[in-house]
Amino acid sequence: MKKRQREGQIISPAGRAVRWFFSIVLFLYTMITFLVLGATVLDSFKTKSDLIMNMFGWPKQFVLESYQEILLKDQFGQYFMNSLIVTGCGTFCCIMLAAMTAYGISRYEFKGKQAVTMYLLVGMMFPIQVSVLPLFLILKNLHLLNNLAGMIVIYAAGISLPVYVFSRFFHTVPVSLDESARLDGAGEFTIFVKILLPICKPVIFTIALITAIGEWNDFYLPMVMLGKKSVRTLTLAIYKYSTEFLKYMNVSFAAVVITLIPIILMYCLFSRQIVEGLTGGAVKG
Amino acid sequence: MKNAIKKEERRSRKRRPYLAFLAPGMIMYTIFIIIPIIYVFVISVFEWSGLGEMKFVGLENFKTLFTNDRIAPTFWHAVLNNLKYLLCVWFIITPIQFLIAYLFWLKIPMFKYFKFMIFMPYVISSTIVSFFATMIFDPNIGFLNEFLTNIGLSQLTGSWIGDPNMAFKIMIILIIWQGAGSGMMIFYANLMDIPKDVMEASSIDGCNEVQRLFRILIPLSLPSCASIIIMSSIWALGVFDIPFILGGASGGVNGSLDFVNLVFYRYTFGSALNGRSELGFGAAISVTMFAVIMVVTLLQNKILSRFEYNND
Repeated sequence: MKKRQREGQIISPAGRAVRWFFSIVLFLYTMITFLVLGATVLDSFKTKSDLIMNMFGWPKQFVLESYQEILLKDQFGQYFMNSLIVTGCGTFCCIMLAAMTAYGISRYEFKGKQAVTMYLLVGMMFPIQVSVLPLFLILKNLHLLNNLAGMIVIYAAGISLPVYVFSRFFHTVPVSLDESARLDGAGEFTIFVKILLPICKPVIFTIALITAIGEWNDFYLPMVMLGKKSVRTLTLAIYKYSTEFLKYMNVSFAAVVITLIPIILMYCLFSRQIVEGLTGGAVKG
Repeated sequence: MKNAIKKEERRSRKRRPYLAFLAPGMIMYTIFIIIPIIYVFVISVFEWSGLGEMKFVGLENFKTLFTNDRIAPTFWHAVLNNLKYLLCVWFIITPIQFLIAYLFWLKIPMFKYFKFMIFMPYVISSTIVSFFATMIFDPNIGFLNEFLTNIGLSQLTGSWIGDPNMAFKIMIILIIWQGAGSGMMIFYANLMDIPKDVMEASSIDGCNEVQRLFRILIPLSLPSCASIIIMSSIWALGVFDIPFILGGASGGVNGSLDFVNLVFYRYTFGSALNGRSELGFGAAISVTMFAVIMVVTLLQNKILSRFEYNND
């Protein structure tokens, strides 16, 4: 009854049939996702010979061979750490820089504020592909190629969207809070860290989350900037495996599972925030 | 009274510390975002292999790109592929996104589960999506051929990604599976924002579901449609990951998965293919790509803003 009221009218039998029809179609569609993910997990526990004979069945026996192989023979642990370092530091630096910049813009009056805001938006209009060549050369000159720090500084510089979201959000926080803290003798930076950041935790968390997901999944920049094996990230490792699929077939399933676990876990825990962040729900505050 | 408060507020805010807050972010942003954009325009008018001297050649790089017998056909073919993808965004991907958002809005059975599952691939890396594609479409060990053989339809088996007629379609399917979720959720959020009284009024007037869809919901969704299309167009013109992993740097069989960005990659970083790397030439491709993105975005803005105007 409640449902019908919300829609403002009673659903006709034909309408209900159409709804069920689409439900079934979508259900079958989501089954594909389940099958693919499920098959990947099962395959990662098979021995290589088992995998070749029966790629989509239940494993003859569950073995950890593939996991042992990527962790011991290849440096998969190292790749995981690389991804973790790049994503963690990149996200942290980007969010901190963006929050400070947004604070400067939204909390102080100064000449050229409009120009600064516009200037910061430019970055959103250019896809990274346009500037990847100069970035490559800049990192080369700074001796940051094949270096995780190089990736971190690039990620840290991508503050356009976070600044845009944060400065809109900071405007909604009453200035009187800052004022009273200032009267109590708090310095500017203390106000920023102790008052504004805690209030804005939800929006900061949302933006940090989608930034981190983007960096964890990034393929193009690491491929161009990180050529050495010791700095390889997870996406590059999986790419290397899948280019020689037949050779690395068994280990690549384990690699995909390890890479997917953190991201799927994050999605299950924070799907609402992720959707909001990616669809601009966070912008509305 | 209000004025007095404002004045006071302004006075206390009128201090220098903003510089300390702005400087670190602005410096990083300038070095790694703005300077590269300017730099790419500069490099594009030089002949330079990355080492040694830069030779000024004016618009020579662009001339080679557009007219050279060997390079231009590949390049234009890649541009056409990008535009083909763009058409898919307009006529296939966006309508599907709206349809599913509409179904969520109707609260079809199990819609919460669908919302969760359909958006999920969005957080999965393109490398993994391509890996899944290999797993399903590989002609020798892939799931699809095995499945078709097992149910007795072995005449339908094919080489899929290796088949120039199928490769592009498979890529679009993968992109829908992976990326359609975001636009869908924007449409959905927009539909949820439509005031309830509009719906009530329409049902009092005896408006049926089909009329409601075409007369109310679709027109009211056009503004969000504009932003989704602009977003996915920039994405479509810069596409790289999935075709690169599926078809390799050479752009698949017969260039069926060749896009501008792959051409750029081949000439700039994939020196093995051409003997030596040509940074100036690569930059010229980047600049062209940038110009195409700008033109397409402006055109779309112009066309789509007309819809928005109609709505007001």
